[in-house]
Amino acid sequence: MLLQLRNIFKWVQQGGQRIFLLKDINLEVQEGEFISIMGPSGSGKSTLLNVIGMLDTFDEGEYDFLSESVHTLKEKYRSNLYKEYIGFVFQSYHLLDDLTVEENLEMPLLYKKIKSSERKALVADMLDRFNIVGKKDLFPTQLSGGQQQLVGVARALIGKPKLILADEPTGNLNSQQSEEIMQLFKKLNEEEGVTIIQVTHSEKNAEYGSRIINLLDGRKI
Amino acid sequence: MIKNYIKIAWRNLIKDKLNTALNVIGLSVAFAVAILLGMAAMYQLSYDGFHENGDSIYKIVKTQQTPKGPQAGTVHPAPFARTLKTQVPGVKRITRYLQDGTLAILGDKEMDMNIIWVDKDFFSMFSLPIISGDQNEPLSDVSSIVLTEKTAVSLFGTTAIVGESFNLLVEGKEKPFTVTAIAKDNVPESNLEFQMAAQFESHHSYLKNKDNWDANYHDVYVELEDGVTASSFKKNSQSYIDSHYEKAISELKRDGASADVNGRYMNLDMIPLTDVHFLSLKNGFVEVSRSLPYLILGVAFLILFIACVNYVNMSIARSAKRLKEIGIRKTLGAQKKQLFFQFWSESLFVFLVSICIGVVLSFAFVDEFKTTFNTNVNVDMLLKPIFLLVLLGVVFLITIFVGGYPALLMSRLGTIQSLKGKLESTGSNRVRDLLMVFQFGIAILLITGTLVLWGQIDYMRNIDLGYDKEQVISFPLNGKRNSNDVVDLLRDELKGNPNIISISGADNNLGLGRDGSRSTSKIGFEFEGRAVTTNFLVVDHEFVQTLGIDLVRGRNFESASDSLGVVINEAMAKELGVEDPLLAQLELDDGKYYPVLGVVKDYNFNDLDRAIEPITFYMTREWGISYAYAKVGPNNMAASFEILESTWKKLEPNAEFLGSFLDENVDRTFNREKTTAKMISSGSILAIILSCMGLFAMSLLIVSQRTKEIGIRKVVGASVASITYILTKDFLKLVLVAFLIASPIAWWVMREWLQNYTYRIDLSIWFFVGAGTIAVIIAMLTIGSRTIRAARANPVKSLRTE
Repeated sequence: MLLQLRNIFKWVQQGGQRIFLLKDINLEVQEGEFISIMGPSGSGKSTLLNVIGMLDTFDEGEYDFLSESVHTLKEKYRSNLYKEYIGFVFQSYHLLDDLTVEENLEMPLLYKKIKSSERKALVADMLDRFNIVGKKDLFPTQLSGGQQQLVGVARALIGKPKLILADEPTGNLNSQQSEEIMQLFKKLNEEEGVTIIQVTHSEKNAEYGSRIINLLDGRKI
Repeated sequence: MIKNYIKIAWRNLIKDKLNTALNVIGLSVAFAVAILLGMAAMYQLSYDGFHENGDSIYKIVKTQQTPKGPQAGTVHPAPFARTLKTQVPGVKRITRYLQDGTLAILGDKEMDMNIIWVDKDFFSMFSLPIISGDQNEPLSDVSSIVLTEKTAVSLFGTTAIVGESFNLLVEGKEKPFTVTAIAKDNVPESNLEFQMAAQFESHHSYLKNKDNWDANYHDVYVELEDGVTASSFKKNSQSYIDSHYEKAISELKRDGASADVNGRYMNLDMIPLTDVHFLSLKNGFVEVSRSLPYLILGVAFLILFIACVNYVNMSIARSAKRLKEIGIRKTLGAQKKQLFFQFWSESLFVFLVSICIGVVLSFAFVDEFKTTFNTNVNVDMLLKPIFLLVLLGVVFLITIFVGGYPALLMSRLGTIQSLKGKLESTGSNRVRDLLMVFQFGIAILLITGTLVLWGQIDYMRNIDLGYDKEQVISFPLNGKRNSNDVVDLLRDELKGNPNIISISGADNNLGLGRDGSRSTSKIGFEFEGRAVTTNFLVVDHEFVQTLGIDLVRGRNFESASDSLGVVINEAMAKELGVEDPLLAQLELDDGKYYPVLGVVKDYNFNDLDRAIEPITFYMTREWGISYAYAKVGPNNMAASFEILESTWKKLEPNAEFLGSFLDENVDRTFNREKTTAKMISSGSILAIILSCMGLFAMSLLIVSQRTKEIGIRKVVGASVASITYILTKDFLKLVLVAFLIASPIAWWVMREWLQNYTYRIDLSIWFFVGAGTIAVIIAMLTIGSRTIRAARANPVKSLRTE
């Protein structure tokens, strides 16, 4: 089992009242799953994803990731954990505009303190695999949305994560580009066994997953 | 990793060229100015610090309690040093020190020289190295003389002159002296400046004063034995003082002086050598004040502070643009520490570049700085270990705090918030506001200071001094001829010239002449059973008329026989305390009574920081005069000046003409104020420019952050004026708060400073209002252009960017 959430609650205090963002979430994810989280705006999809990705905290409940209890870890260890095992893909790509494609891909490796020669090899591999060798010296703003997201996915994969978290990865893309990205996810999941959790609005994209979780007002339904 | 940091830092700096340029320029200028001012202050503070025995050398000040309060003086009678050494334990070496001007004559060559008359121990006490000649006791003989290298070269053309002789003009006669040693040239930070040094015993007044305890006319420096402290020596000297000054002390008691806290009437004070440069004897108290160098250092720090505030504010404001980057880096596994080092190293980079430019700038401008601010700093000082240490320390602290604070703020941001690009910024805004208030407070403080300083200088320049300073030229009688004869000759030569109205002379100058020399002569005598002290001026015929001093009672000197009478000023008349001063007889010499012929109106013969003291004029040819005064007609004064100069050249072909108008002389007496004013006004201009640079950058950033708000307001129907108002309001509020805080401080500081002057301006409210208005107007102009442009922009455009 990759991760397990037990009775997760998250709330914000507003005027003496608790507004629940997540309410009693229980979730088990096995390695190799491809899960889609769906729900209307404000239902807590992104919050759930951020909690899983350890970018956000929760107020109550327990979270085990690879049999480490995340809720008891200090931030430093938590960031060590997620930089080792989790890759993120965002709706608006979140590439660093000041770095070239190659440098963007290299960055996670820098934080993992991987040696220079090895970094070069991994980046070259990734460029090759995604067919973007010709674009390695371009800056993100010089690429189309689809290409940027491709780089985003490549960056998420370069650290060889066990889990990829994607927050509406196709939200800013046209249908053809969406299709390509989803196919890529599917391939990664099936051929390399990477676990994927994606948040999406689109029924069609959700179909790619093996399991769909529906959220409403912070609650699983 | 480092490479990656540098890469991204560089690209960031390049991308935001305007901001980077503002930062680098601001910091470089601030560093350059801080280095220059720091050097000037260090130079002042390093005065006389180079003497190896300096820790045990003291200048002796004698303080006596007079009926009018304490009276401190640095001058002592001739027998004092000799007896002090033998009668008070603890003296290792002692020297008398009398500075004087003299005329050196070698063949046809005549040169004005600055000479010191000192005792044998002088060169062994002070670290003034002898480079050739007698190393041990160069002043062992009454005819020995020591020259500095420069003096030797200017007089003989070479320094290989040990054993050679030349003459000094002593009381009108040429007296031979033999060069026994050549000393190294004076270092600029030395108070013991001299061109020649001769034995104290060879000074012309020595024989007359050898055993006279009443003629105080020279300084005394003492070197104490190891283990003897200044305070224990002071205590040991008490019985010595009581026995040698018995008569003076009993007179003080008789005149109603009250004893000091220790029940004593006369004391010695030991002023450490390094304090001598900062010694002032104002109002009779010994005061060592280093406030000027510290003021300069203060200005340097304020300017650095302002530049640093700019940097902090701009970095924090700019961090909004880098939120996304922070978020991404965090999701990729960056830790706080790593982010901190990334942003901090970016600051470090900017600082290092700025410091390098700053050092280069300070080197480039050091000469102009020296001439503008009359300081003797040189770039060698930069290499002194103490200066380097301080500089490194300051730079280190600045990089830690100024670079560290924004870096800390950025590294602490939450991942999700930064990814969303939202800054929960109430806290950092408060810091920003506080810093800007500080910054503008400093600027307003400095502007007020500048206005008040210039106000005071202007006031001093235009005050009626009680004599005619515009039309009177004074010049030193530095020639070979007898001074009274020269003045007579001048008078004869220029008699027919309609533009030279009258010529006279006196033994002292008014203000500070081009010869740079000033002196005070005072005399004390008994009048109706109490001691009276007065300034004493030997004058020539027509002195009062030449200077245009008003006569209020009696008459002026009229004929040569009037040399038996005196003319006094109103303050002296008051000091005498008799109903009709014209009936008073003053016993200026033992048994000789001088009638008061007339009373002149008070005039400021001292600097304006002192009240007018009693003065007595005495017209005699016996004691000689030192300066000639010429009153010229109001038309074409420059031509009259030239006529005077050429006549002088004719009479004294070998002497330099150092004439100047009295108003220039008076101006020269507040050189110190002018230098301070120049420094503070340049400081405040810089402070304002730097603050405005910061303000400008802030307004740019804030306008860009509020683009959406501006757009929405416009869509809803706000006018350009109201939007400009909204955008400017916040800044102006800060300037106003700064004004409210800074004004009372400025008021207090300037009031304290003005206390130094007997003649001073009132601190009117307009100085403060003026400074505040200047600050507000400049701030408005700075932010105005950008805000109005933003307010006029098409709202559709600004909304679309969201």
